[in-house]
Amino acid sequence: MGTANVAVKSRAAPLQWRWPLVWASLLALCVLGMPHLEALFRLFEPDARQVVYTRASFATLLWRHLSVVAVAALAGIVFGVLAGIAVTRKRGRDFMPLVAQLASLGQTFPPVAVLALAVPAIGFGTWPIIMALLLYGLLPIVRNTLSGLLGVDAEVKTAARAMGMTPWQVLISVELPLAMPIILAGVRTSVTINIATAALGATVGASNLGDPIIAGIINNNTAYIVQGAVVIALLALTVDSLFDMLQQRLKTSRSAA
Amino acid sequence: MIELIDVEKRFGGVAAVEGISLRVPSGKVCALVGTSGCGKSTTLRMINRLIAHDGGEIRLDGQPIDSVDPVQLRRRIGYVIQHTGLFPHWRVARNIALVPRLLRWPKERIEARVAELMALLGLSFDELAHKYPHELSGGQAQRVGVARALAGDPDILLMDEPFGALDPLTREKLQEEVARLQSSLHKTIVFVTHDMDEALRLADHLVIMRAGRIVQQGSPLALLRAPEDPFVESLLGGLERGLKQAALMRVRDHMGSLGPSLPSASRISIDASLRQGLSIMLRDHAERLTVVDGKDVPVGELSLRRLIKETQWEQPTSP
Repeated sequence: MGTANVAVKSRAAPLQWRWPLVWASLLALCVLGMPHLEALFRLFEPDARQVVYTRASFATLLWRHLSVVAVAALAGIVFGVLAGIAVTRKRGRDFMPLVAQLASLGQTFPPVAVLALAVPAIGFGTWPIIMALLLYGLLPIVRNTLSGLLGVDAEVKTAARAMGMTPWQVLISVELPLAMPIILAGVRTSVTINIATAALGATVGASNLGDPIIAGIINNNTAYIVQGAVVIALLALTVDSLFDMLQQRLKTSRSAA
Repeated sequence: MIELIDVEKRFGGVAAVEGISLRVPSGKVCALVGTSGCGKSTTLRMINRLIAHDGGEIRLDGQPIDSVDPVQLRRRIGYVIQHTGLFPHWRVARNIALVPRLLRWPKERIEARVAELMALLGLSFDELAHKYPHELSGGQAQRVGVARALAGDPDILLMDEPFGALDPLTREKLQEEVARLQSSLHKTIVFVTHDMDEALRLADHLVIMRAGRIVQQGSPLALLRAPEDPFVESLLGGLERGLKQAALMRVRDHMGSLGPSLPSASRISIDASLRQGLSIMLRDHAERLTVVDGKDVPVGELSLRRLIKETQWEQPTSP
């Protein structure tokens, strides 16, 4: 594509940072200030020897948690969007039902079961949980990529072709931008679900924000569980509000029609 | 020049279009007319290879279209469709600039071209260039669609029911505009419509289609004078045919010379159609009208008796 831009002044709506900032600040406060909240958590467990999880700092746990989710999400986007594109092309159309079913299968298969099967195959650690999250998060991405691409107005596609765009140009400049809000919604669902699901990784030796929860269950320490759960919830809210912000921006800067 | 020679298209063994032969000389306007599903859109789309033809040959300026890369072919053929097909995520200016960008024109030339086309189609650049298609009225959007089709300065323009989705007033205005543009641009145009008045107004050559075949083709006047079968006749307006024919004839060509006194207080412009003349006669109870030029100076007379006697209405034209 040429890069000539015909006298277009930017009228994109300003990003709405309010909610992401609120949730991110709360998250940061919790993560950094956890050691200072001992008095609060003492209320949950008056008799426990220790009420704040200290085996690893919450910042470290948060970082590991985010990395696992991010790797799984990136892989999910690459596989999911590519699969969605492939089966909406003329040559791949026969595979559309197959891909849609495989993606559904991925989500009906419980992540715990994936972990149980993956550990004997590839051992303990980070990889089994990434695999489980990838399979679990693939469906919303594939499904939304499909409905986004299939939902692009046929007349618009015909016009694009008739003006002399190559199939690649039609995909990159017309189909994907028009499907983007829907694809983004799928990624949002996938990532938000996976932030919660990633906690399971703690059971197979992938240290993350699931650690305090598992430790709390094993030691019968409610305070640990609450700490893990609150941080995970705040992380999910932060990321979700970031996606919301992006979606709002897409919505206001172009037509939905 | 566009030539279709015995062109055929089959969908799953069934012929959608068969035995289509027609020729549109450069700078002329050809209308494909027929009821829904008669194959007129299929025929149009075969010209820019949106649909591949299965038999016969299509040539542009003598060159068979199969010998050209379809992407390159389409960049030199303008295309307008009913619901505009504008890109909803692009602003008006960028939509119009599409083909010049694909052709990699320099930026300044593209900008100048967009401004030129918007002016040509009566679109205010300052007001509309930065709007998205959904912010436009139906008429404006279709003007942008026409501007986009003309942007790469193609010799050939294909239009698929270009004004079908517009209200009657807007439609008529755009038809006039396209006729005005064509009188200065001289593109070779093929357009599809089921609106016979539109076809009669714009076309030099009419092609009537039914069930994938051409029933009759010729100049609008020739068809009006001698429809070959009842289907063509009913498409051409049945009993209204005489008036439709009158609408295509100019007062200029059928007026008599001015006598010593003015024939009537009723006046008609020399550039009006005979249909308008007949209408004024009925309205004013006048058998004769004074024909005036652009400065309102009497230059001749239009007489009902003469029109009825001398003008060829129903007889077939001798070649």
